Parts: sequence; C-alpha cells; structure tokens
Amino acid sequence: MSDSTLAAPVPRRTAPLSHRLLDVAERSWPAVLILVALIAGWEWACAALGIKPYILPAPSAILTAALNDVPGLARNSGITAWEATAGFVIGSALGALLGTAFAYSRFLARGFLPFIIAANTIPVVAIAPIIIIWFGHGIGSKIAVTAFLSFFPLALNMMKGLQSYDRTVADVFHIAAASPLQTFFKMRLPSALPYVFVGLKLNVTFSVIGAIVAEFVQADRGLGFVIMTTYRTMAMPKLWAAMLLSALMGILFFLVVAMLERIFVPWHASMSTDP
Amino acid sequence: MAEALSAEVRDLSLVYRGRGRDVIALSEVSLGIAQGEFVSLIGPSGCGKSTLLRVLGDLLTPTQGTVSIKGRTPRAERLDRRIGFVFQEAALLEWRSVLDNIALPLELRGASRRDREARARALIELVGLTGFEAAWPRQLSGGMRQRAAIARALSTEPDLLLLDEPFGALDQITRDRLNMELARIHEVTGVSVVLVTHSIREAVLLSDRIVVMTPRPGRIERILDDPLPRPRSLGTRLLPAYEDLVRAGSRELEKGYANV
Ligand SMILES: Nc1ncnc2c1ncn2[C@@H]1O[C@H](COP(=O)(O)OP(=O)(O)OP(=O)(O)O)[C@@H](O)[C@H]1O
Ligand SMILES: [Mg+2]
Repeated sequence: MSDSTLAAPVPRRTAPLSHRLLDVAERSWPAVLILVALIAGWEWACAALGIKPYILPAPSAILTAALNDVPGLARNSGITAWEATAGFVIGSALGALLGTAFAYSRFLARGFLPFIIAANTIPVVAIAPIIIIWFGHGIGSKIAVTAFLSFFPLALNMMKGLQSYDRTVADVFHIAAASPLQTFFKMRLPSALPYVFVGLKLNVTFSVIGAIVAEFVQADRGLGFVIMTTYRTMAMPKLWAAMLLSALMGILFFLVVAMLERIFVPWHASMSTDP
Repeated sequence: MAEALSAEVRDLSLVYRGRGRDVIALSEVSLGIAQGEFVSLIGPSGCGKSTLLRVLGDLLTPTQGTVSIKGRTPRAERLDRRIGFVFQEAALLEWRSVLDNIALPLELRGASRRDREARARALIELVGLTGFEAAWPRQLSGGMRQRAAIARALSTEPDLLLLDEPFGALDQITRDRLNMELARIHEVTGVSVVLVTHSIREAVLLSDRIVVMTPRPGRIERILDDPLPRPRSLGTRLLPAYEDLVRAGSRELEKGYANV
C-alpha cells in the first residue's frame, strides 16, 4: 500500500495554446467592455457637454490627430521605446550584478546601501539635467537616465531575493557537497527569481517614465519631445495621442515582463492565483 | 563490538556560542553505530538530538571529541556524498519536477543525465512514487514529499542515512505507512540509519537500538536494545514484547522529562 495507488495527475507545465487564448479572452472581456464604454461615454460627453478641445479632446479628435502624423508618431515612439528598453536592460543588469555582490558581501552591502538608498530618493527630474550634461545631447543620455531609474529596484530586489532561500534547502545542498557556483545557479538564483521579477516589473514602468522625463529636459525626438512641442503650440489632440502612446508602451513592456515571469517562474504560487 | 562500525562518536561535546551565554547542547556523548544498524534517538525537546545528527552529517563541527564514519571524518564522507540527510520539512526545490529533485545530488556530483535519470526512476519506484516523476512538488501531499526527500537522500547510495523527525508533521496513517517503507528500505539497501523521533512507538517499531537522551546538558541517559524479530511490519506492534519495550522506553523517557 502506498500513496501512489492513487491516480497520478497528468502534470502540465503549459496548457495548450488554444486553452490559454480562451483563458485570456475569458479574463479580459470585462476590461474590454469597460474600455469601450469609457471611450463611447467620453466621445458623447465631449460633444453633448461642449467641452473645449484643449481641455479634453474627443477620442475621435485624438485619433484624427494621430492618423495625420502616423510616420512621425511611429518614429518618435520607436526612439522612446529604444531608449526605455536599452536603459531598462543596462540598469537592470547593473542592478542585478550589484545586488548579487551585496547578497554575498555584508561589507559591500553595509558600505554602499546607505548611499544607494540616499541616491534613490533623488527625484529623476532633478538628476536628469546633470546626466544629460555628462552623457551629451544624443540618445545615450536618455538611456543613462532610464538606466539610473532601473538600477535601484533590481539591486535591492536581487539582494533580498538571493538572501531569501530556504535554510533547510541550503542544508540539503551542503550535505550534497554542492560547490558555491552550483549553490548559486541551482538554488539561490532560482529562489531569487520571484523577487527579481518584482524588481523588473517596477523597472519596466519606470523605464518609460525615465525616457520621457529625459526627453522633456532636452531632446529633438521621442514621445517626450512630441509632448513638449505640442504643449507649446497647444496642439492638444496630438499631445493626448503621444501621451496615450507612452501609456500603451508602458503597458506593453509590462506585459512582456509578465510573460517572461510566467515562463521563468511557473512554479511560483502567486502565478496560479486569479485573476 | 565484533561488527564493523558505521559511525563512532567519542566524548562528543558541542557548545553553541551565544551572545553572553553559551548553550551546552551535548556533553561527552559516546555512541557506536554498527554497519547496517537502525538506531533511534529519542528524548525531550532540547536534549540535543538534532545537534548530534547535524554533527554526524557535518552540518556542525564538534566543540570537543571525535566523530568518525567508516573510519573517516564526517567531512570526508560528506564530500564523497556518502551521507544522506532527511529533514522534518521535505525541502524540495519547487522549480524542479519530482524526478529532477531526486536526481539533484547526482547532478551536483556530475553524473550524466542518463545515469541520474535511471537511478532516480529506480528510487521513485523504491519509495512508491511511480507516476509522479514529472509532477511539481507542490502537487504532492506531505507524505509524498517526504518520500521524495528520502529518495533524494538515498540517491548517492550513502553509508549512513540521517533522519531528523522526518514524519513529525504527518498524520498517523501516513506515518504508519512511511514507517513501513523506511523499514523496507533499510532492509533492502542495508544502509545504517539514525532516526530522530519523538515517538517511542515509532522508535520501538523500527530500531535495533534506542538511544534515550536527557537535556541540560544533552547526554545519553540509556541505550535500549530492541531485539524484536525482523523484518518488521505493522503486525510487530501486536507482539507482547513490543508493548514491553514501549513501556520500558516510556519509563526511561519520563526520567528525562522529570528534570525538564
Ligand atoms: N543554532 C543554535 N544556537 C544556539 N543554541 C542552539 C542552536 N541550536 C540548538 N540550540 C540549543 O541546543 C540545545 C539542543 O538543541 P537541539 O535542536 O539539538 O535539540 P533537539 O533534541 O533536536 O530538540 P527538538 O526535539 O525540539 O528538536 C537546545 O537547548 C537548543 O536551544
Ligand atoms: Mg530537533
């Protein structure tokens, strides 16, 4: 007699694609419904209440403004997306490395963390002009500002994650005579992944903010630049279009990271909870 | 003792150094474990059972005294992966399948994928987890998790299997089953076993000898022989000699609790 006389489950790492698409459809239709209702109500309100376009342009006006300059908006979106992505990758990579060093060296953690936390409280709008002076007027300085923002969340979460392994599992690795490298890659890093993704999700939204703020300070391209110039000329529908595009970009990036999390951390308990 | 010794502890003392005050967890403990023997450690909480087990597994270094396993230091044995350890929690890696969890020590040793899978499959059968090779740990019940932990501890064919209250968190029926599995595994593999338990019935059911310990400082109070016939089964519990041993063991235990 043993527990295994019970029927074994058919373990599924990933459900078939058709099931998952159905799942997504089922979970997102309420949000889609609300969105459609919101846009319809907005359109109706602008006309019925006579709201001035520079206060709140109607969705149709925003769409028209966007369609009038598709190539321009696409090019500027691409530039901002590139700045955000590059800054996100560089900042996250540096943050991960430093977080790892902190997790392994109490001296480094105690020595550097107070300054890092202090630096983290500097508003990005205050530091952006300085970084732009350092890194020049090109795209590089926008990437640097974004990297600056992406750095802290991952450094802190990486450190916390690497320290959050189960002590009994560590004993198991000790008994099995695991090398420090094996312990890192087969235990501490996988244990840290849920934390790493908390940091990455923060970073990915910060990265779009960082790129646009840097463009506000100085730029001749990018969505931030579009927002600044349309603001000066009071071309509000186009400003709204640029703003919505930047929001869309943030959401898209977030979804990419969330998808990566599902791929890399499928075991994590929070993954299986609704909605 | 005529038989070959699997492990020998001589005048072992262990002191946990704390801020201000030290805790003497073990004081001059001596114990020999014969090859293939099944020894249980029992005694009130804080008498140093886990500490003794952790010294044997090279998770702690003695303050004084010597420990040898197969004539070598625990460290040498551990580095050769000759020690298996099972904890109260299964401590499985949640991101690995049951099969890959059981194969972990072999993977760390550098065994080829084919070898470690073959061995892991054999162990899965030994502990009765057939059909769950690809399951995630969180899909397993507590008893099944402990089966997987036992299989993992056996994967490198250890000389010595150390178990620290492995069934403490399980319900009685699951516990009975796993007791029998452990008895069978001990029978077929011939591994020497040291089991820490709080249950005198479990100790009597499984052991060749029962080491009763007392706290403050941790010492061996008495060692009881358990000559019940082998192989052991749940039917062993119906023997009058079983009840006699349980009574004798309880009496010894009460002495330990008297000075708690
Ligand atoms: N890491 C530690 N630091 C300081 N003291 C410790 C430590 N671990 C255990 N002790 C102390 O050493 C003594 C023996 O502890 P140990 O865990 O070996 O007891 P035990 O017999 O396993 O108890 P239990 O049945 O509760 O598991 C106890 O007094 C305990 O408080
Ligand atoms: Mg204990």
